[in-house]
Amino acid sequence: MLVFAISDKGGTGRSVTGTNIVYRHALQGNDVCYLDFDFGSPTAGAIFSVSAVARGAPENGLHEYLRGDCTQPRRVDVWAESDREALRTRPPGAGRLVLLPGTESGGELSAFTDEVVNRCAQLFGRLEEEFDLCMVDVSAGRSFTAELVLAATARLPAIPFRWLVFHRWTRQHIIAADGLVTGADGLLDVGARLGHDREDLHDRIRFVRTAVLEPDAAELVGLRDEQRAWLSACDGELRELARRHGVGRTAMLGKVPLDPVLQWREQLITDEDVLASKIANAETAAAFDELAKKIVDDSAWEGL
Amino acid sequence: MLAMGEVHTGLLQNSGEISESTCRQVLGLMAGETVRVSRRPIPHALSPERLTGVDCALPSASRSRIRGVGTVVSRCAVTGGRVAQGSSYVRVVRSEADRRLPWSHYLSRPGVVEVLGKAKAADLAEGFVGDPAPGCLDMGAISGRFLDLVQASPLLDRRAPFRIPRTSLRWVAETGEPSIRFTLHTEQERTLRLTHPGPFTPAVVDLCEDLATHDWLLTSLLIIVERARIGATPGAQAVARLAPAIDHLLHLWMPAARVEEWLRPFWESLERQPGFTRQWRSLVDRVRDQIATSTLALLSAATEAGRR
Ligand SMILES: Nc1ncnc2c1ncn2[C@@H]1O[C@H](COP(=O)(O)OP(=O)(O)OP(=O)(O)O)[C@@H](O)[C@H]1O
Ligand SMILES: [Mg+2]
Repeated sequence: MLVFAISDKGGTGRSVTGTNIVYRHALQGNDVCYLDFDFGSPTAGAIFSVSAVARGAPENGLHEYLRGDCTQPRRVDVWAESDREALRTRPPGAGRLVLLPGTESGGELSAFTDEVVNRCAQLFGRLEEEFDLCMVDVSAGRSFTAELVLAATARLPAIPFRWLVFHRWTRQHIIAADGLVTGADGLLDVGARLGHDREDLHDRIRFVRTAVLEPDAAELVGLRDEQRAWLSACDGELRELARRHGVGRTAMLGKVPLDPVLQWREQLITDEDVLASKIANAETAAAFDELAKKIVDDSAWEGL
Repeated sequence: MLAMGEVHTGLLQNSGEISESTCRQVLGLMAGETVRVSRRPIPHALSPERLTGVDCALPSASRSRIRGVGTVVSRCAVTGGRVAQGSSYVRVVRSEADRRLPWSHYLSRPGVVEVLGKAKAADLAEGFVGDPAPGCLDMGAISGRFLDLVQASPLLDRRAPFRIPRTSLRWVAETGEPSIRFTLHTEQERTLRLTHPGPFTPAVVDLCEDLATHDWLLTSLLIIVERARIGATPGAQAVARLAPAIDHLLHLWMPAARVEEWLRPFWESLERQPGFTRQWRSLVDRVRDQIATSTLALLSAATEAGRR
């Protein structure tokens, strides 16, 4: 299964949420890999705490592979190469956790040729033979990268794929997330132009809300009644807005609560962060765990 | 001077094994030429051979610049309708000329790469099985693409019963006092150094492909058994994880089935050390025992329930 992670706006939590989902999926016993296709700022290495590729790979990164400068992109075994103690041993029962970093200062993809699409399709085909889940961070907004992966998947009709659109729980983000999918030159437009069936593609897209502050969250206990009432009303309005934009409950795969640790640092939330040092919230880890299950649960992906 | 090649092996991307006629279609990469099929003791289908022209640096342990010009032979194979391979090789010879000749010269010698200038066989051999230097002849890239070609066939449903990595076997064969050395590198990379009596023939390639098939089978079964976590998970769960191995792999073990008589001693020597079949049998026994015990547990639970 290929999963493409996208968001309309930058800084929505796409990378942090995507990497945490992949990490949880590995803990659930699956072999997983994470492909950093955010060529402009390949930072996945930092989230996995692999300092050698914190800002992308110095050589043989994905950018070079797609350009044809190397025949195999570099692979990083996170269980072996992470600098974080808690990640450096593979927990019993966990699957492989592999990162394919971008290229350090590789730069945004500014155009692509048929050959690049072929290399991309070849890479996806090979990884799909060996991993249960391959998550691709496609970067933010309408980009050549998004177009590239749509073109590549159109050439791989038998390989299952899904899209996750990440957005924050605000007016602007809800409208933008819908626009990225259904708007002019959005995913559906571009996908249809490149040979995908519009309806079918639409069924393969779900939304994920990031850094959500629920009106009844523990963080809000100290608030005055007036403030809580106001938040509740806002939340209600947003839900109505989301429904109208096709970003409502039915099209949502899940949501991740606002977490103090993630607010301060881009990282994986381990069970140790929750249970031992108690710096992260159990709800956050549970949300990632749930998303990691739903991503392969067909009942969550039935036609809308 | 020497022959060298690289074999990539993987699980055919289909839900079940494919029939002989499907094999013929999947491997019929070139119209007009036929797929060679043998049925006993295990179905094996081999595609027509294709040539790739090369003019590039050859790998060298001393990192000398050695230029080779010629053609690489590649082919694909499917064993038991289930295991797919892409395989490439060349015979490296000294050029009689000291400059590059017209392509017609090289095309009339398929699978031969001629070295322009000085080169030592040992330097080339060590360079090839050692860390590949960028920019050198990369037969792995060619074999990988041939395997991709098979896996991308529209006749396959791409619903393989389990996910499993490909393995690669890089080999070098020379003429001399018989010896064989098989080495595991990373989880997916292996090398083979072979010295055989008499001149090189394509039967050596068959041997390397046969070894690659069995090394892949063994590697894959090890991975599946590890994933099953026998003893650490409930019996039924372990059995469910072992099931694909029983359905798709266990019957494929057929060492030296396609190896010519004069090369059999090499297989036999690998059977003594490191002992491929020994390890395979012990794994198979483990899988069967696990299934037997958990079937027994199920049966006695059912009888117990019946009595109540
Ligand atoms: N659930 C959360 N709670 C609190 N903060 C979060 C949460 N998820 C992400 N963040 C924070 O939001 C910021 C942006 O996240 P991230 O880098 O993952 O976004 P992005 O969409 O990948 O951004 P870019 O488009 O720049 O790549 C980070 O500082 C991250 O730690
Ligand atoms: Mg990011």
